[in-house]
Amino acid sequence: MPMVLLECDKDIPEREKHIYLKVDGEDSRDYLPVANASTIPGTLSERGCAFCGAKLVIGGVLKDTIQMIHGPIGCAYDTWHTKRYPSDNGHFQMKYVWSTDMKESHIVFGGEKRLEKSMHEAFDEMPEIKRMIVYTTCPTALIGDDIKAVAKKVMEARPDVDVFTCECPGFAGVSQSKGHHVLNIGWVNEKVGNIEPEITAKHTMNFIGDYNIQGDTQLLQQYWDKLGIQVIAHFTGNANYDDLRAMHRAQLNVVNCARSAGYIANELKKKYGIPRLDIDSWGFNYMAEGIRKISAFFGIEDKGEALIAEEYAKWKPKLDWYKERLKGTKMAIWTGGPRLWHWTKSVEDDLGVQVVAMSSKFGHQEDFEKVIARGQAGTYYIDDGNELEFFEIIDLVKPDVIFTGPRVGELVKKLHIPYVNGHAYHNGPYMGFEGFVNLARDMYNAIYNPLLKLAATDPRATLSTPAKEAAE
Amino acid sequence: MGCEVTTRERAGIINPMYDCQPAGAQYAGIGVKDCIPLVHGGQGCTMFVRLLFAQHFKENFDIASTSLHEDSAVFGGHQRIEDGVLTLVRRYPELRVIPIITTCSTEVIGDDVEGTITRCNKAIKAEFPDRKVHVVPVHTPSFKSSQVGGYSECLLSLVKSLATHKAAPSGKLNLFPGWVNPGDVTLLKHYLREMGVEGTVFMDTEDFDSPMLPDKTIHTHGRTTVEDLQGSANAVASLALARYEGASSAQYLQTEFEVPAHIVSTPYGIANTDAMLQKISEITGKPIPESLIRERGVAIDALQDLAHMFFADKRVALFGHPDLVIGLAEFCMEVELKPVLLLLGDDNSRYKKDPRLLALKSKVDWDMEVVCNADLWELEKRVKAPDTRIDMILGHSKGRYVAIDANIPMTRVGFPTFDRAGLYRHPTMGYRGAMLLGEAIANSLFTHMEYTRNREWILNTW
Repeated sequence: MPMVLLECDKDIPEREKHIYLKVDGEDSRDYLPVANASTIPGTLSERGCAFCGAKLVIGGVLKDTIQMIHGPIGCAYDTWHTKRYPSDNGHFQMKYVWSTDMKESHIVFGGEKRLEKSMHEAFDEMPEIKRMIVYTTCPTALIGDDIKAVAKKVMEARPDVDVFTCECPGFAGVSQSKGHHVLNIGWVNEKVGNIEPEITAKHTMNFIGDYNIQGDTQLLQQYWDKLGIQVIAHFTGNANYDDLRAMHRAQLNVVNCARSAGYIANELKKKYGIPRLDIDSWGFNYMAEGIRKISAFFGIEDKGEALIAEEYAKWKPKLDWYKERLKGTKMAIWTGGPRLWHWTKSVEDDLGVQVVAMSSKFGHQEDFEKVIARGQAGTYYIDDGNELEFFEIIDLVKPDVIFTGPRVGELVKKLHIPYVNGHAYHNGPYMGFEGFVNLARDMYNAIYNPLLKLAATDPRATLSTPAKEAAE
Repeated sequence: MGCEVTTRERAGIINPMYDCQPAGAQYAGIGVKDCIPLVHGGQGCTMFVRLLFAQHFKENFDIASTSLHEDSAVFGGHQRIEDGVLTLVRRYPELRVIPIITTCSTEVIGDDVEGTITRCNKAIKAEFPDRKVHVVPVHTPSFKSSQVGGYSECLLSLVKSLATHKAAPSGKLNLFPGWVNPGDVTLLKHYLREMGVEGTVFMDTEDFDSPMLPDKTIHTHGRTTVEDLQGSANAVASLALARYEGASSAQYLQTEFEVPAHIVSTPYGIANTDAMLQKISEITGKPIPESLIRERGVAIDALQDLAHMFFADKRVALFGHPDLVIGLAEFCMEVELKPVLLLLGDDNSRYKKDPRLLALKSKVDWDMEVVCNADLWELEKRVKAPDTRIDMILGHSKGRYVAIDANIPMTRVGFPTFDRAGLYRHPTMGYRGAMLLGEAIANSLFTHMEYTRNREWILNTW
């Protein structure tokens, strides 16, 4: 019975299909959690919406692009100041958000005119910006505003601007995952191939599915520079809009986040014959393996080995210092999906950390195939976990640290369990060799925080008996 | 010279000051004990608002979603309300209140919330005959009003649904402070205690600042009970401290149950706090005690050290909730700061006629602008304009980059203030709030003087 019905789920027994406890010696083909399925209302699920999957995760990372959100104000307000993806141009993408501020009359009479006006205004107010993505939201999709037609009109009126439209209202799909898909496919169909990049190196690639969280993209860029590989487009960390229009000219697509961006790599293979190579960018073992694969593809193995040796010399002793102190730590990962399989084996191999429970908000079954293959027995694998389940799982596995978002982090703090931000990081970047040392450091500092011991201590318990009586 | 009231002319918004109605409704909802709001809409409408509250309070709050998916957009989402309510009632045995908070999508679809609630009540009664769970309809389409109106609407819906009849007079005072911090609630309760007045603060959010305890229990939730809400009809009077976030509930209780409603200036600054205490004294016949006169004196004493030396003629821009911005503008003038730019962030047409704004208009002898329906781009444009000088920005964290990029000192106040530690713990209202804010403003100015090497030597002796 490796599928688990938790006590808190007795009234929603269908949850049994979503929670798997891996047991030694069994055939995991028989027990794949159901994933990417409809959420049960009222469960306090952790999921977001498809709109945020498109805007917040992928499109909003672009550092030179107006993000015009066609809807009421909340969709803009809520997808602003919630990410840590800096850029090398002063963080334009983190400073601003745009909304058509739809009101009731626009719902009744249609919002296309308001969208058109808002688009012109945005370009007028920021004349140096020439690129824009327009997103529909729940109400503008329901009333059927034709945002593509409006975008076309604006582009005709302003020949120097380019606008991409993303029709991905919050109710589409079952989670943010749907938004990743819609943006990927729309982009490759409508925008890739209409700009020719300047080729400056013999070897070129796109780096797909990395969003420059706390500078991940910029850290990895040092490696590609050393290897002499030109990255035509980062999808989408620290990227310009036009970089992504030139993706068709790369010789190789290297994919980190296969869940949010595997789609575009597949399309680029189909349309332009560009091979897809999946790597893991977190962890020493995995990063070295990724560099080896890329180097092998381009026939620059010597350079790759030199880079790995240099990085190992610089960072491995630091990593080992933490490994010595983190060995045997029990970790839980409650994030979006892919980081489960990126991290479970890398923390085990590089840090001796044991991952005891993992929950994915929007992973698909293929993500569970990967993570169950890489993960340990005795570990819980949960799809779309909810709050009561988290409490119960914590009781069962007693993690020492949880990698999750800040809100859940605040919740588990009350249970004296430290959290490390598994989405935006504490003090990253976490990718690459240097980054994994950062991750190890943050985990170490979380676990060895003296406050945790103090929190668990009741000062009354150590009082002498008369003082104790007086206190009572 | 004088005050000009303008309105944002652009159709679109660049950098909003307020979130949408359902966000405000969720904030009111979490103030109730044994309550989990159920937001009827896409999952993002809940997930991001929970994140926003967590950013501000560094706490987790329980809010559920009906998880509207495509099929509901086509066939209606009422079944998801029913499923959501029953799932919550079954899994949370202590649960007593579930506000059903609508959103833009479900208002456009036109789900019959009231009819669905009737069905929910029947189902709950059949399955749990010994429990009473109040399922409350809260209509907050995102394309109307803002988080300000959403807060007010949810509060009113809760009062309407729970305060259904008048019983014996309780002698208690209803206090409606609007969307404030736990520190403000603590201060108001302290004032009531000092005056010997029994009262109820709606919503009692004191435990939004909750501890890490040896026994690991979690106390992060509202303290306003079902009984508090029911009892609001029996109060001696209601005091609305927030015209735009609390007055509608006070007025409802007056119309329905003859509980006298008093709408007072929001107690920011010394004079507004005086007026509030005088009103409480007038209603209850209890004198303002010596202890509060002392607190008042301590605050004036502290502010006196700052006003004419550091604050005088400093030009201040303010943005945030309307009652906060207007109240803080009044406070600024008490301490010789010059409010020159006030930004109010939604299309409520009543702001222009607010008596406090009209009074400000008649008082100022410098150029002051009030921008209605403003966004933070209006602030940024004015701050960056070559002929304007702003010495201090007062507002919430969403405006942080305006201050950072223009190199203007900014004191965080209002909601959200996620980029400063612990602000929610301290009052902004009352004498103590005025003092703490004044000192925060002063310390921001001092740090800025040092950082920019601008007459920092003045502080070599002070």
